Amino acid sequence: MKHKHTKILLVIFVNMIVLSGCSPIKEKNLIEEIAPVTFWSIQKGEDENFRMSTLIPPLVKEKKRLLNVQVDLLKEGMKGFNLKYYRELKVGQLRMLLISEEIAKEGISPLIDTILTDPDISKRLYLAVVRGNFDEYINNQLKMQEDLDYYLYRMFKHYDNQGKLTIINLHQFMKTLHSPAHSPVVPVFEASEENFQYLGTGIFKNDKLIEATNNMEEQIYQLIDNDHFLKYFAIRDLSIVLGHVKANVHLNMDNTYSELKLNVQLNGRLDEIAREHKLLTRDELSRFESEIELYLEKQTTKFLKKLQKNNVDPLQLRKYTLRPFSKPLNGREWSNRWERMEVKVDYDLKIQPLTDTKN
Amino acid sequence: MPDFSLFEKTSSYQGIYMTLMVNRIQMLYFAIIMPVFLIYPYMIWMIIIVGILSQISIFMLSKWFNSMYASKGYEGFVEIFGERMVRLLAFFGIGFILLKVIVIILGYIEVAQQFIFPSVNTNWMLLFILLICWYVASLGMANTIRFIVIAFLCTAWMLLLLLKFPFQPFATIHDLFPLIPYEWTMKSWKGVLFIWSAFSGPEYLVLLAPWFNKREKILKYMTIGNAFTIFEYLYLFIASLFFFGSHYLGENKLPVMEMIRYLQSPVFERIDIILISVYLFHFVFAISIFLLLFYGATRITFKKSKDQTTRLGFALCCAIFFICIMMSNELLWEKAANQNILLELEIWAGALTYLFVPLILFISLKRKGRS
Repeated sequence: MKHKHTKILLVIFVNMIVLSGCSPIKEKNLIEEIAPVTFWSIQKGEDENFRMSTLIPPLVKEKKRLLNVQVDLLKEGMKGFNLKYYRELKVGQLRMLLISEEIAKEGISPLIDTILTDPDISKRLYLAVVRGNFDEYINNQLKMQEDLDYYLYRMFKHYDNQGKLTIINLHQFMKTLHSPAHSPVVPVFEASEENFQYLGTGIFKNDKLIEATNNMEEQIYQLIDNDHFLKYFAIRDLSIVLGHVKANVHLNMDNTYSELKLNVQLNGRLDEIAREHKLLTRDELSRFESEIELYLEKQTTKFLKKLQKNNVDPLQLRKYTLRPFSKPLNGREWSNRWERMEVKVDYDLKIQPLTDTKN
Repeated sequence: MPDFSLFEKTSSYQGIYMTLMVNRIQMLYFAIIMPVFLIYPYMIWMIIIVGILSQISIFMLSKWFNSMYASKGYEGFVEIFGERMVRLLAFFGIGFILLKVIVIILGYIEVAQQFIFPSVNTNWMLLFILLICWYVASLGMANTIRFIVIAFLCTAWMLLLLLKFPFQPFATIHDLFPLIPYEWTMKSWKGVLFIWSAFSGPEYLVLLAPWFNKREKILKYMTIGNAFTIFEYLYLFIASLFFFGSHYLGENKLPVMEMIRYLQSPVFERIDIILISVYLFHFVFAISIFLLLFYGATRITFKKSKDQTTRLGFALCCAIFFICIMMSNELLWEKAANQNILLELEIWAGALTYLFVPLILFISLKRKGRS
């Protein structure tokens, strides 16, 4: 009996200590006193290195507002926010990191390394490069749309893993950054006072932004590499839109890595056609198909040539040189070969014709 | 007040307990950090080869289990080696046990600190974990062995979570290539040593032989445990290759935990916190077993093995245990996993004990049998 009493006493004692707040845990997370932010936007500062801004979430009844600080170091910014604002900012819910184009061109690995070392921040953090002034856009839109940051996050999440747009999270970025091709991609957005829109895929060489794809290149990139699907494939030069395009990509590299054969099979629908046409006959349709094929072959070759010129490999073509039982090329060997590689592109398009049209 | 007897043999367990124990004791802290040491895809074959070699050790250990000496426990060892020698071996054993426990407990605390409590003093965590282990161990050896079922059921299912990674859009089969080595460096040898050391652990189970049913085919059960471990290591390693790719893998300190951290459930975002906490069951089991072995070895060293176990003595042992671990935590445990002197030592120590303990037992059994 005596033994039992001591046990009960011990439990009561431990509970008393823990309940009275004498716990060994230093950080307090009382919901009224913290502000879990969902994004950071990092721009080039005027005097200091960075200007960081974020939206303060309204946990209590107050208006959302944009906070920004000018700092030299990223984590100094965290501290700066706390000195400025009465609730403590927490990064556990950080979902997006928006980096301005100027910084991206200079290299983002110092930023990324800081983010990586913080165990609070998930590796699922979405990365994006922003052209233009994001702060202005937020300040303008806040009056119209309260939960802007949340909807932005939902957009990223929606397009994650389903093609159409390039969406990259921190882990994917790091994985491609470390692979010997060293050419990660990050989506590029354009922000103006009124608008925040997707521009294309930003191609990096190591941690520096080289260029962003233009409209046609972007669509080709989505088809060849990113989930191989496009809901709308607009070809302005030929005045048509293909719909629900699915691509089947076959890549072939010869043994000396001097020639790349890219074979793309496209299946899609003709969604829109804005010019004179007679497509109901089989002949007309196949002529039309070969016209598109020719056009795409030309565009894709141009795109690949451009990549070769910049010596970047965002399509991760290097992985096709890896075979189970042959010696892999190292990073430098690959980039030498890739620069000089001959590219042959072949498209094979199958379209279902327009139905219900009069002609 | 009832007698406080830790080493009473009240029941003889069936072989299935042996399967679970062999498997869990091989899957301790080293399973968490394993991918960092292997990195290259061809290590897949090394895991299989070393796993099969480990089977040889398992075979020799099972011979001991089947011998007449095993069920006698301490007396059995004395019959073979003589009392002086046993005391000497027990003395060395204390060191090995202590080293192993220090590495696994501090390793676990490091994980917990990294992912759950970044601002808590590690000595507090150490104290709490040891208090739990002290409680479990004070229920006696028989109950602690029974605890393996809970430890196994709590942790083995976690593998299923990793099933997701090969099917991530950024994972391609090319992450596993090339499958054969084109250069063999010091690092590769170290990887092999590491795998061998990771498979170590079952050699301590010979000390638990008296609690097991001798007539059963122990080899079969141990083999199943070992095979499951090989499978688990392969699975973990391949999943981490898919997730990180061979080049990024080496950059991470705790790759398995990072993978778990990447998972998200719609209900709890941070499932890693829950999983790491549940993992504690596994560690508590192992540490409690080692705590009991530590106590037993200390008693043998001080020629007290015939006496009744006492609460005071056991508490004293736990206190020494705590102080030793705390001191090495403060002084020796480096936070960078690659230059950790204790970890290096344990890799060697584990490899050596797993090589020599079965070998010595096997040889001395053969000799005894002949004479």
